[in-house]
Amino acid sequence: MITRETAKKSLHVPVRAVIKGVKDEAPGVRTLLLEPVEGQFPRAGRVSRPGQFNMLGYPGVGEAPISYSMLPPGKTDAKAEELFGHTIRRAGRVTGYLEKFKEEDEIFFRGPFGRGWPVEEARGKHLLLITGGLGLAPLKPVIEMAPSLGLAGATLLHGARTAGDIIFKAELARWKTGGAVEIGLTVDNPPGNFFKKRQDRGLEGFEKAIGEIRTGLITELIRPLQIDPAKTVAFICGPEIMMRFASRDLMMKGMGGAGIYVSMERRMRCGTGHCGHCQIGPWFTCKDGPVFSCAQLRGLPDVII
Amino acid sequence: MGARRPRAGFFKFTCCSGCGFELAYFQRCLEETLAAFDFAFFRLASSSGTPEGPFDLSLVEGAVTEPFQIIELKKIRQRSKVLYAIGSCAITGGIPAIKALAPEAQVEGAAYKERLYGLASTRPHVINDYVQVDGFIRGCPPGERDLFEALSSALMGKDPEFTEYSVCMECKMADNKCVLVEEGLPCMGPVTNAGCGALCPAHHRACYGCFGLMGQANIHALKGRFRELGHFSEEDIENRFFTLFGALGKTERK
Amino acid sequence: MTGVNASQRNYRVILPENALARWLEWLGGFYTLTGPVGGGVAARFTEISKFEQMDLDYQSTMLPPGKKYLFEPVEEVLSFDVSEGVFSSGPYPPGRKRALIGVHPCDVNAILYLDMVFLSGPYADPFYRARRENTFIIALNCKSVTGLCFCHLVGAGPYLKAVSGYDILLTEIGEEEGAERRGGKNRKFMVELVSEKARELCDVFPFSMGEQPEEKDFEKMSRMEAALLKSFRKNLDMEGVQSALLSRPDHHALKETADSRCLSCSNCVMVCPTCFCHDVMDKTDVSLSRSRRVRRWDACQDISFAQVHGGNFRAQRHARLRQFVYHKLDYEEQFGRKGTVGCGRCIRWCPTGIDLTEIARAMME
Ligand SMILES: Cc1cc2nc3c(=O)[nH]c(=O)nc-3n(C[C@H](O)[C@H](O)[C@H](O)COP(=O)(O)OP(=O)(O)OC[C@H]3O[C@@H](n4cnc5c(N)ncnc54)[C@H](O)[C@@H]3O)c2cc1C
Ligand code: SF4
Ligand code: SF4
Ligand code: SF4
Ligand code: SF4
Ligand code: FES
Repeated sequence: MITRETAKKSLHVPVRAVIKGVKDEAPGVRTLLLEPVEGQFPRAGRVSRPGQFNMLGYPGVGEAPISYSMLPPGKTDAKAEELFGHTIRRAGRVTGYLEKFKEEDEIFFRGPFGRGWPVEEARGKHLLLITGGLGLAPLKPVIEMAPSLGLAGATLLHGARTAGDIIFKAELARWKTGGAVEIGLTVDNPPGNFFKKRQDRGLEGFEKAIGEIRTGLITELIRPLQIDPAKTVAFICGPEIMMRFASRDLMMKGMGGAGIYVSMERRMRCGTGHCGHCQIGPWFTCKDGPVFSCAQLRGLPDVII
Repeated sequence: MGARRPRAGFFKFTCCSGCGFELAYFQRCLEETLAAFDFAFFRLASSSGTPEGPFDLSLVEGAVTEPFQIIELKKIRQRSKVLYAIGSCAITGGIPAIKALAPEAQVEGAAYKERLYGLASTRPHVINDYVQVDGFIRGCPPGERDLFEALSSALMGKDPEFTEYSVCMECKMADNKCVLVEEGLPCMGPVTNAGCGALCPAHHRACYGCFGLMGQANIHALKGRFRELGHFSEEDIENRFFTLFGALGKTERK
Repeated sequence: MTGVNASQRNYRVILPENALARWLEWLGGFYTLTGPVGGGVAARFTEISKFEQMDLDYQSTMLPPGKKYLFEPVEEVLSFDVSEGVFSSGPYPPGRKRALIGVHPCDVNAILYLDMVFLSGPYADPFYRARRENTFIIALNCKSVTGLCFCHLVGAGPYLKAVSGYDILLTEIGEEEGAERRGGKNRKFMVELVSEKARELCDVFPFSMGEQPEEKDFEKMSRMEAALLKSFRKNLDMEGVQSALLSRPDHHALKETADSRCLSCSNCVMVCPTCFCHDVMDKTDVSLSRSRRVRRWDACQDISFAQVHGGNFRAQRHARLRQFVYHKLDYEEQFGRKGTVGCGRCIRWCPTGIDLTEIARAMME
């Protein structure tokens, strides 16, 4: 049980976790399954929400904000069931260092921080998820909990650079079969050549399971959509430029900025609203976000949403 | 983590060897440094040793001013996993770059009474004009903070994080009197990359930019300020930016 | 204007300077006394041992007292013993108890702002909090205004209106008749005990040495304040500024000022009493035995401040200057008040004299 007092004092002290599993998702992208072993990690289910992030790192190297791609399951005290996941792309100092880590290595984190996706707002409505590249990771927990959200329906539109860059292939196939989410996929570069060269990797099987992979930008998948603006909530995650075009397309279909949510990426040094690096206008991305509605962001300087 | 000590090399081109001295006299942790690395080549510390690689970490000081240095530099690059330029000569051209301000023959004539036919001097160049450099340990002599960051990062196997802000930041954090605002001295601090801990202003002197210009340095704005101070000629101001540590900048800007 | 009620008045006393000096030196038994040394606009808050070292006529300092002592420029927040695998953070409280003497109203308000940053959100910073709790703040109403001050526009001065968050408020209200002191006059101060801590500390001494203030004294204070308010030279429509700025993020006044004068040197941020931004870095000994996590003041004027993998959100100089100007004059939603306290430091210490109020004024035209 963490009291307010100890939580405050442990602000700077990371939690130790052991890597219990490593999964290659795409070139330069890996998922780490983590088990917290020591420290004041808010226990499962109590605080962790989809869309939140941890400051993940190693002492001497630094920390980087990484979203949950798998939530701690919650409501159980059994250690083994407290595994949670982060999907990480090699980008710089911290993520490059973490790339060397293997199973049973120790890693450190602080968190979880931020406000997550407002899943309760989607109750009774159609939930539209639009993701680009690694942006699928922070929404994966939402997709997994979709059947329990009381949605009128759910659609996932995902875009990647090439078919090889599509993460969570097994999960995508599973979600497709599960039927709770409709799935549309697109890649910037045509998949044809790719499959011809790499048939042995089982990607052909993936295409069979998932159906057609379109070619083109994610907006190609958005434009044909039929949307009832009043009964739709959209969660968008990906590069900011992609979120800009996706959200604008939805607005052209009549959706208001208040029903469109995006997850913003900014430089972060603390996660706790103190270091100031993550500011967007009056907001701190770490504590007021990273999930914002477009209404909160549009018109602020240094934002292209 | 790893048991093997990283193999390190220290290489010198045209310069005063001050950077090598700085490393050899690395105040805070000379012993630890020597214990942590296997210095396979470091002329200033030992006359034995071989420049043959491979090196986990190479530090290269000095500007390139002769053709053979280019060949050597390229070899060093091939043999090194990580290569850092160390010191202003290697990074901005430093003092040796002053010779870029005059025609080659004139410089040679001034330096040698007779024309030396064996002399094969070229226009000075910084080392990343010729090879890919993984990081810059700035300063003349190099700042301890960045040197320390480079060495400890090499040991840990992480990318270093070098300073990338103005000398003024360090100056303010030390609560120094501002010699530019309060005394009208032509301080280069506002456009100079930090790393020295604002050494000159702490001793009541104007920064003369030995760490080199920081990214996006707004030169014409600071020149304008120096002009407003009223007691500097246009030549004084020009020299402030484009001799000593900025000669290459001058010729490149032409 | 001072709006005194009877119970507050009981905690007010008029003390001659020499009595105040004796009391402060007594306070030095419990606190490290820290006050303005060297006068004018470039005084410096410094640890002192004698009252006379201070210049209570000072007008401003370069580094603000609150930021300098409550939020240190460089501070280790975490240490990791590599071989033991153990973290330590602290100790809290870091350092000794400190009394900040002669803090001007703008700077007291800036401390209240830093309180919001470091203490009010979902996470309180333990270092700041411990230091804050260990700091005794003796505020001093201004008796002169510099040409760059604009506290009156944001309600941060020249007389302090805040009723909590500090301990004692001093106002110089004249000179004691007849008494000579150090060749000069012995001044009299209205001393208001604002916090419980102050009231306890001052229970008997120094009250016995002072006089009860009378109505005429309060009237005099009001007159002095009114006179001061007339001496401000800076002006800006603080109500209108918010909508004007947000609707013109690419105004030429911003771009031109940035291109022709801004050096991206960050002096403005360093001297700003409400700028709280900091970087966090890890350092490891060459012997790899200990890693330390250190925070250091940082500034949105630095080129890499908003750099991420995908790009730099403020790669352009005017975008960085805009962040400073907007954060000070706009973005009131952040903490329910403007970011500026009107101390004028960013203007004074900018090597090229860039003035955020001038930029804003040009943008409002
Ligand atoms: C809320 C949030 C959630 C996120 N979730 C995820 C996630 O789930 N998975 C994921 O992989 N990523 C995620 N990210 C992105 C991730 O945090 C960054 O990729 C990460 O911080 C990079 O850290 P680093 O130390 O590895 O890189 P850094 O060393 O900080 O470098 C990052 C990039 O910036 C550049 N750079 C850094 N400093 C400078 C400089 N001074 N000058 C020029 N360029 C510089 C580098 O070249 C590099 O491209 C998230 C970010 C946020 C804000
Ligand atoms: S003295 Fe020089 S380095 Fe220091 S703040 Fe002033 S201009 Fe900057
Ligand atoms: S102090 Fe002046 S020149 Fe320097 S960054 Fe600030 S506004 Fe620009
Ligand atoms: S003005 Fe810049 S440095 Fe100051 S608090 Fe705001 S973002 Fe941070
Ligand atoms: S800004 Fe106001 S409170 Fe601050 S020193 Fe000037 S007059 Fe005093
Ligand atoms: S990450 Fe430090 S304030 Fe948001």
